[in-house]
Amino acid sequence: MDSLDHLAQGFVVAARPINLLVAFLGSFIGTVVGLLPGLGPINGVAILLPIAFAMKLPPETALILLASVYIGCEYGGRISSILLNIPGDAGALMTALDGYPMAKKGLAGVALSISAWSSFVGSIVATIGLALFAPILARWALAFGPAEYFVLMVFAISCLAGMVGERPIKTLLAALIGLVLATVGIDSGSGVYRFTFDDVHLSDGIQFIVVVIGLFSVSEMLVMLEQSHGGQVVIRNTGRAMFNLKEMAETWWGTVRSSVIGFAIGVLPGAGATIASAITYMVEKNLTDREGTFGTGDVRGVAAPEAANNAAAGGAFVPMLTLGVPGSGTTAVMVGALTLYNITPGPMLFEQQPDLVWGLIASMFIGNVMLLVMNIPMVGLFARLLYVPNWILVPGIAAISFVGVYAVHATTFDLVLMVALGIFGWGLRKLGFPMAPLLLGFVLGDMMEQNLRRALSISDGHVGILFQSPVSVTLWVLAVLVLVAPALVRRLRRKR
Amino acid sequence: MSDRIFATVWLAFCAAVAWLAWQIDAPFSYEPIGPRAYPLLLTGIMAASAAWLLVKPDREPDWPRGALRVKAFLLLAGFLAYAMLFEWLGFPLATVLATVVIGRLFDGGWRESAIAGVVLGGGLWYFFDKLLDVTLPLGRLWALA
Repeated sequence: MDSLDHLAQGFVVAARPINLLVAFLGSFIGTVVGLLPGLGPINGVAILLPIAFAMKLPPETALILLASVYIGCEYGGRISSILLNIPGDAGALMTALDGYPMAKKGLAGVALSISAWSSFVGSIVATIGLALFAPILARWALAFGPAEYFVLMVFAISCLAGMVGERPIKTLLAALIGLVLATVGIDSGSGVYRFTFDDVHLSDGIQFIVVVIGLFSVSEMLVMLEQSHGGQVVIRNTGRAMFNLKEMAETWWGTVRSSVIGFAIGVLPGAGATIASAITYMVEKNLTDREGTFGTGDVRGVAAPEAANNAAAGGAFVPMLTLGVPGSGTTAVMVGALTLYNITPGPMLFEQQPDLVWGLIASMFIGNVMLLVMNIPMVGLFARLLYVPNWILVPGIAAISFVGVYAVHATTFDLVLMVALGIFGWGLRKLGFPMAPLLLGFVLGDMMEQNLRRALSISDGHVGILFQSPVSVTLWVLAVLVLVAPALVRRLRRKR
Repeated sequence: MSDRIFATVWLAFCAAVAWLAWQIDAPFSYEPIGPRAYPLLLTGIMAASAAWLLVKPDREPDWPRGALRVKAFLLLAGFLAYAMLFEWLGFPLATVLATVVIGRLFDGGWRESAIAGVVLGGGLWYFFDKLLDVTLPLGRLWALA
């Protein structure tokens, strides 16, 4: 009952004109960013964050903007998957498998509308899940001490290492690079400068936005240069614009199943929309594909992954809001956003900033309705953006990225550092290092160190405190399990 | 091979970080750990991981070759120049130049890129500086004249 009251209060916050406007703009921008191949939710959120901050938007408004961009991206990614066979963002990878064949059969309109509908269902299921489970988890997390927090972050990083990318060692290295980058600057425990080389620009650390935009925007433009997809043809004949009742009935249970699975996967730190859509596609294929039509343009194969990637995006908010430990790269950026506003995400957020949390949840409901309206009747407008040539798109991304970084501190130093990090990140990506763990390491770095040191101060330097409580022991066991299990499964399969 | 080169460079980097971290010294310490141990711990794990990579590297990635390599270097140089000239030339002019360079690298014609540059340089400056109140530099060069 308590939650319902809070949610009602949240709707009051979300219904303020500025917040409605921002949710609309965010949904619109998100759909655009999502559908453009090469730009994903992280880029969109990273570029908008400094601008929102420079415009002095209040924190809840800024967060609503970023969240609606995030959800909008998960809607938009499907458009280029279906019409171009190129996923607009990583989460829409699986949608191309059946979406593009459908479009080739002249059913692009059906594919686009049913996927918008299942995106909506997925998002709403996840938002309800967020409103139900987040307060419970937050209350439970209040009992966490520094030792438990430290182990929780170790668990988050090993989740990533176990699930993201081919080589766990590279994921681990990426996370460590992020953690080391985070130690630059003044040490809040002792007031000592670390790795600053007596440079004023580094004294309060490397700016979060410099890292995100460097790693994701600058390196992305280099990747875009390498894969110039001039040869692809946008499908123009979209056919019937709306799905019928039969198609809706056919996809309904798959959509609901995928929404629930997607939400659960999104809650896990590290496993995001991409993994969720891949898993649910496989689940649906195994459960319902008796005629072997998946992969040849089956509506169910379009609906399931789209429901899942949206639900996972919603699920990723749970650990971010309740524990302060982000579940995906994009929510990591949002944690960074809150830090800019001097708000520390964590279990106290629900008590200290109810307007922020519940305003966000309420506006996610509103944003999804806006997105559904934008993405069914107006989808043709968005599809036209696929014709924007790279020679204007890329300079535009570059200029907006540079403005974003410049807006924070107004120094050339930050711009040069951003380019340097972009080149470094591009090299790492070519070598097969995933970028999301690096970002997560950078965001968690300071929190992880402070909690470790606090825990060890309590125990007067005895490491045993990290293994004392049942919660931390469980987390250690889980951390080892997620690291070892995928490798074990792979080995068992090979033997067979 | 690339992995091996990276791992070697990274081991050297770890050594440098460890050496720097060793010199961190807190005159007053309120806790048993201090600011030095954590970076040292991280570099230790990082060095071990890099050593593993040195022993078991992945297959060679496909680095850009030929004309694409030249283009990639040009794009990098363009970004760097844009970053350095951003304050000095001011946002509008630096953006026009950057757009022409980047646009050409992405197969835009001279005229198309130039028009795009003027539209982006002027339009974005107006949009951010005037409409959104995000202050952008107009250039130090002009102040001297």
